[in-house]
Amino acid sequence: MTGVLPAELGEHAFLRGLPAEYIARLAQVAAAVSVPAGHRFFEEGGRAVQIWLIRTGRVALDLHVRGREPLIVETVGGGQVVGLSWVCPPYEWQYGAQALAPTTAITLDTTAVLSYCDQDPVLGYQLIRRLMTVAADRLHASRIRLLDLYAAPSQQAGAT
Amino acid sequence: MVASRRTETRDTVTLALRPAAQPIGSHRPGQFTMLYAFGVGEVPISISGPPNGSELLQTIRAVGAVTEALCAAEPGRLIGVRGPFGTDWGVGLAASADRPASAGRPADGELTTPVMADPAGKDVLVVAGGIGLAPLRSALLTMLAARERYRRITVLVGSRSPQEIAFAGELSSWRALGAEVHVTVDRASAGWRGDVGVVTQLLDRVDIDPAATIALVCGPEVMMRLTARALAGRGIATADIRLSLERNMRCGIAECGHCQLGPLLLCRDGPVLDYERAGPLLAIREL
Repeated sequence: MTGVLPAELGEHAFLRGLPAEYIARLAQVAAAVSVPAGHRFFEEGGRAVQIWLIRTGRVALDLHVRGREPLIVETVGGGQVVGLSWVCPPYEWQYGAQALAPTTAITLDTTAVLSYCDQDPVLGYQLIRRLMTVAADRLHASRIRLLDLYAAPSQQAGAT
Repeated sequence: MVASRRTETRDTVTLALRPAAQPIGSHRPGQFTMLYAFGVGEVPISISGPPNGSELLQTIRAVGAVTEALCAAEPGRLIGVRGPFGTDWGVGLAASADRPASAGRPADGELTTPVMADPAGKDVLVVAGGIGLAPLRSALLTMLAARERYRRITVLVGSRSPQEIAFAGELSSWRALGAEVHVTVDRASAGWRGDVGVVTQLLDRVDIDPAATIALVCGPEVMMRLTARALAGRGIATADIRLSLERNMRCGIAECGHCQLGPLLLCRDGPVLDYERAGPLLAIREL
């Protein structure tokens, strides 16, 4: 892991538009990472203390189902983020995460980020709005997938 | 007559049709025909191949008695063909030159769809959901055959599962011909290394120049509505977002009214419409 310049951090879509003073503060607890395909970022049930801002590559969020291959529930790519569970209790990863391709990211120490947010609610508000947008987009996408739109009409739920 | 038959997925096949007697009319990418399985019935089917003057490629998903009969048709079998019908994606030189003189010219109170300009010199964003890739394939292959006419060509494909990706075997050749292709699935099986999610999430990966992008979108209506909304949110003008709509096409010649969508008869005024015109209609539940 290597340090990250504020300018690099501010370029990521997740933080774009955040005032420079906040970017500079977050850069103090940020690190650049580069991992190969197959690298596991975290496991379901683990303590959630990081967020990864993906720059390039692809990461799968997966769920272990007994007797089956890990089930990929969603993939995340460049410009998107991995790791939301540090925001609210029980502060445990709800899924596992694995790189499907060589992946570069910026990771933030979220224990420090939460501390910054407690000290400065304006920064907290800015970050929560961004995180809420990510969560809402994923909820929306999950609901759309539940519709099973591409199934044959006879296979769709509610078909008569 | 069925010249050849190719299995695309578990329930989808592509038939190559050649005339048994009268020549088959030339088509424009995005148009459809009415295919008749003798003794069973007739259904509208998208043309999935580029205009080539000799045969029609039609991709059919088996979802009912007629489509099951068509999908089962082996080479040599006769199939009834009417058409091609409807509006097109506006893609290709030939498309512009071959348009019927009446296209886009209201006469006697009839509603017609404005002729869509070829996106030459622009970025083209193709967004397909499921079997919706079939009518888009016709436009895509037409553009790739004249690749220098267009700027970036990006193809985003959403599918139910890796096994159900239409034209999966062609994706690498589209890339080799100069298209950027991304695929996502709703449900991943073991070993899938690609994306999992809805097709609109792929839009985040694409660098869009909204003032110079024409979007071609086809898939389930909900998917098209959400995609069009997302594209408009990225700044693409609603008139530059083209959708292929579907209703119950029967006659194909705007006589029977089965394919009515508000003031439109989609067999004539569609299937391809821009979102500026289609958007308000798609928002009305009763339609």
